[in-house]
Amino acid sequence: MHLSFSLTVSWDFVLTCCILAIVLAVLILFIILLSLAISQNTIVPKCRPKGSPTHLLVVLGSGGHTAEMFYMLDRMELDPHIYTYRTYLVSSGDDFSAGKAKEFEDQHVQKLQSHTENDRYSIVTVPRARRVHQSYLTAPFSTLQCFWVCLCVLRGLHPDQKLPEEYTSPYPDLILTNGPATAVCVVAAAKIIRFFLCLNRLGALCLGLQVNSTVPKLRTVYVESWARVNSLSVSGVLLLPLVDRFLVQWPAQAGRRAWWGMKRTQYAGWLVI
Amino acid sequence: MGDNWAFHFIQIVSFNSVLMKLCFVTVGATAAFRKLLEQVLTSKFTKTLTEHGYTHFLVQYGKDGQDLYDKFVADEEAHNGLTIGGFDFQPSIDSFLLQTVERKVYDRERGLIICHAGTGTILAGLRLGVPMIVVPNPDLADNHQQELADVLEEDKYVVSSSVENVGSAIRLAESQKAEVLSSRAKDENLTKNLSDEMGFLD
Repeated sequence: MHLSFSLTVSWDFVLTCCILAIVLAVLILFIILLSLAISQNTIVPKCRPKGSPTHLLVVLGSGGHTAEMFYMLDRMELDPHIYTYRTYLVSSGDDFSAGKAKEFEDQHVQKLQSHTENDRYSIVTVPRARRVHQSYLTAPFSTLQCFWVCLCVLRGLHPDQKLPEEYTSPYPDLILTNGPATAVCVVAAAKIIRFFLCLNRLGALCLGLQVNSTVPKLRTVYVESWARVNSLSVSGVLLLPLVDRFLVQWPAQAGRRAWWGMKRTQYAGWLVI
Repeated sequence: MGDNWAFHFIQIVSFNSVLMKLCFVTVGATAAFRKLLEQVLTSKFTKTLTEHGYTHFLVQYGKDGQDLYDKFVADEEAHNGLTIGGFDFQPSIDSFLLQTVERKVYDRERGLIICHAGTGTILAGLRLGVPMIVVPNPDLADNHQQELADVLEEDKYVVSSSVENVGSAIRLAESQKAEVLSSRAKDENLTKNLSDEMGFLD
């Protein structure tokens, strides 16, 4: 008698827990989907005066991605007077990308800049999300580690960074990337930071504190590889619901979106040539 | 030996003021593509080149083609009078690609690039505005490279050819438009997208 009573109680308890867990999971999923949709559909207000100090973060990948990125920066003639500080993010062991970044700064930016010494950029190294031939069992851990370091970089806590003093915020204004695995970590980290910044502002509003209108931070732009004519790359598929602006270089790739209500990809023509 | 040959070749090219028309074949540095090498390192192919006025023939044979190349170099009759050069790997092949660009002051005619469907090489070649034959490797199941080669051929930027027909593709490649894409005006599209995202005041 006593036994059956305690059994019923524990069954009830288990059932309640299950329902609570499901409700919680659905709630979290709903919040994530809603905040992704809101975040992608918010229009950036035109509020930033030209000439103010800005911080551009360029995420570099392996050989092909890096080459395409510098073809693009070269062709758009990246203006160091507009993007006054540049951070290049490279994966550890990728000397090619680090070398290319230095070469680009030395040749292209130096030419357009009046300063005698170019100290307006830094090259930051992060661990790889997944090394070539690494087992898929350990990959989640190295991805987490990469993600953590990316969070640190975005918050200006990485030892390689040396942002000038006039920068009051450690967050980059704009993140530009074209596809390596690291980019997914960086963009996801940027979204999470923005989510908490937004909560912060909401909290302050609720408490009736003064909230200064601030310039947009941590905006993300992804350019799909020129080599992708009909189908998105893996990073592209993962980043489709996350980035603020998704540019494609072939007409067949235009107008894709992650799901209903999300932002569509935008055809921008060939950006690399 | 590969390195010496390549540099020696470039020296000949840049110091001797002879008329030059270069055909540069690259199979890339990473994946082997012996079928293409077997096709181009022959007397038949060099004969086709001389018929089209080529004077120089440079081959990047990659990691797996040294023996084929050495055999071809040893057989002087198969050269049909062309100046031959070759290498397996260089950190950057840009300086070699550049030798296919027309420069009247150096008596250099517009050359030709024959490459595997590697994006990097195609992009570099298009930027130079040189006729290009793209030969997708049938042994590599890389779908999107084939797609890229197809769409570029459709728009007449390159000629896409099978390994067997690479010789007859030369005539077609020489008549294609070969726009000098690199001299297009500065791109404003990316600049505009970035400044919109930054929220700059107009």
